[in-house]
Amino acid sequence: MTSTPRRLSRREELRLGTAGARRTARNTLIAYAFLLPFLIMLLAFHTWPVIFGTYLAFTEYNIINPPKWVGLENFRELFADEQFWSGLRNSLTYILVVPVIQVISILVALLVNRPLKGIGFFRTAYYVPVVTSFAVVGLIWTWMYQQDGAVNAVLSALGLYKGGSLLNNPSTALYAVMFVTLWKGIGYYMVLYLAGLQSISPELEEAAVIDGASRAQVFWNITLPGLRPTILVCSLMSTISAIKVFEEIYVMTQGGPAGSTYTALFYTFSRAFGDFRYGLAAAGGIVIAVISILFGILNFKLTKGGKADG
Amino acid sequence: MAEPATLPAPGGAAEASATPDMLAHARLAADLKARRARRARLGNLGAYALLIVIAMITLYPFYWTLITSLEETGNIYQAKLLPSSVSLKNYVEVFTGTTLPFWRLILNSVAICLLGVTLSVTLAALAAYPLSKMQFPGRNLIFYAILTLMVLPNESGLIVNYVTTTKLGLLKEINPVLDTLRQYFAIVMPGLASIVGLFLLRQAYLSVPQELIEAARIDGAGELTIWRRVLLPLAMPTIAAFAILEFVAYWNSFLWARIILPPGSQTLPLSAGLLELSGMFSTNSRAVMAGAVITIIPILVVFLLGQKYFMKGLEGAVKG
Repeated sequence: MTSTPRRLSRREELRLGTAGARRTARNTLIAYAFLLPFLIMLLAFHTWPVIFGTYLAFTEYNIINPPKWVGLENFRELFADEQFWSGLRNSLTYILVVPVIQVISILVALLVNRPLKGIGFFRTAYYVPVVTSFAVVGLIWTWMYQQDGAVNAVLSALGLYKGGSLLNNPSTALYAVMFVTLWKGIGYYMVLYLAGLQSISPELEEAAVIDGASRAQVFWNITLPGLRPTILVCSLMSTISAIKVFEEIYVMTQGGPAGSTYTALFYTFSRAFGDFRYGLAAAGGIVIAVISILFGILNFKLTKGGKADG
Repeated sequence: MAEPATLPAPGGAAEASATPDMLAHARLAADLKARRARRARLGNLGAYALLIVIAMITLYPFYWTLITSLEETGNIYQAKLLPSSVSLKNYVEVFTGTTLPFWRLILNSVAICLLGVTLSVTLAALAAYPLSKMQFPGRNLIFYAILTLMVLPNESGLIVNYVTTTKLGLLKEINPVLDTLRQYFAIVMPGLASIVGLFLLRQAYLSVPQELIEAARIDGAGELTIWRRVLLPLAMPTIAAFAILEFVAYWNSFLWARIILPPGSQTLPLSAGLLELSGMFSTNSRAVMAGAVITIIPILVVFLLGQKYFMKGLEGAVKG
């Protein structure tokens, strides 16, 4: 390959040129052939819903008849609907779960990051709720929350609560469902934080210890700043999924009792698949999306863009 | 804790001729070490106590479901540590006692997982190749477009995908065998293009040396052959991780299936069927519990077998 290049004749140059061009064209074709199946599915089931859903928000649509343009009518109806507002309030209350889940997952990640014997078992044990279907998790916790069930037994033993099922009580139901989200989510965020912890250089922590830093000092000054990028990712993900919480509620309470667990996404779901008002539901979807984006930006600001150096 | 190698060993030469002063130092050091070891032991004990408490909180609900599903009678929802009786009656019940045969739900879930995992892994594994190892116009544009798609809000996803699936005629009823196949497809389709999977696999391909691919090209191998014979084997750990992630996702999905399939449909997957069951079995919750146990077992088996890959796959997803 290193022989001295010979000057090519004009004819040779032309021939090679077209062959080269043909080859790149063929290459491009092959590349797109590899991409095509994925792109088709992506466009059909990820992009199209965003485009068509946005359009539907400005229409009256019930699948049977073609969409009828109604302008901002859906949004007007949405904002006049007390049910939507109460759903939105519940969705925003649900965000309370985010800081709790972050703090606990970080602590659990620190705990399972220790080189203890049998730590693999514990990591797995904490991850089991994550890999279980919401259908199963929701059912199990409905049983746990029964009046004579395990949760009430523990709470009454601690002298905290005496009464019926927390899921049947309008003032506790939302928090009871939030606890299930927490319970199911900790293992997931634990793994992410574990990855974050392992990306912090151990030399830094060791050097601080040698310099006489206490455990707490190491945690606040080295570990926590090092975790900042992970904290951004995790709180972003959990905030967005808290605003859009659905499956737990669908399985456990169906929005009840007395609408106390009725969230914004549950509202759009009932409008679409209960009342066949797809346009109104799509408008609700847009409002939820805008709120998620706003919270995403807020999150980004609060964690200073997740930069490790603050 | 390892000493940095560049430090001189403390008291290397002095070891031979120890003065009383040095002995006192050595005693002090040993004392400190013992105290540190004691503290570490105590710390470990505390850590284990915490670890066990958390494990009980995460595992007890499953354990309770298991033991209660084995009981025939008794106070059903009561918290307990051991079953009052053991029988498989509820497990028999769940297979025989409904209009929706439980074995059919299992078969449906297995078919849906096979179809979903195979197709989504294939799609991502194919698409990741040109994006990581080929030069062609539009490559970066496509890559960043896909990146952007990931952050686009998709709240109307369920609604529009339902419309799309209906318009594609996948839910029409014409012929029982074809209907079943079409419905499996309908359940699987919205999740087939996994952006996370594409990224994971692109990442794995990027670490394959370009020389290997060039060598194969010089040997006259076509791109499809290179993909199949060079890239796929080398990306196997990532493919395994992604396949497990997809298996868990497909096995656990219920909402989409419940939306598109009519109630009592014969193609319901297990998770969705379980909810249907809990509606039907209002008199026998223990049978539903048995169903829940059966639904969890395959996930636990797959998860435990592939746990190593699974965690790696997740970590890779954050580290990017």
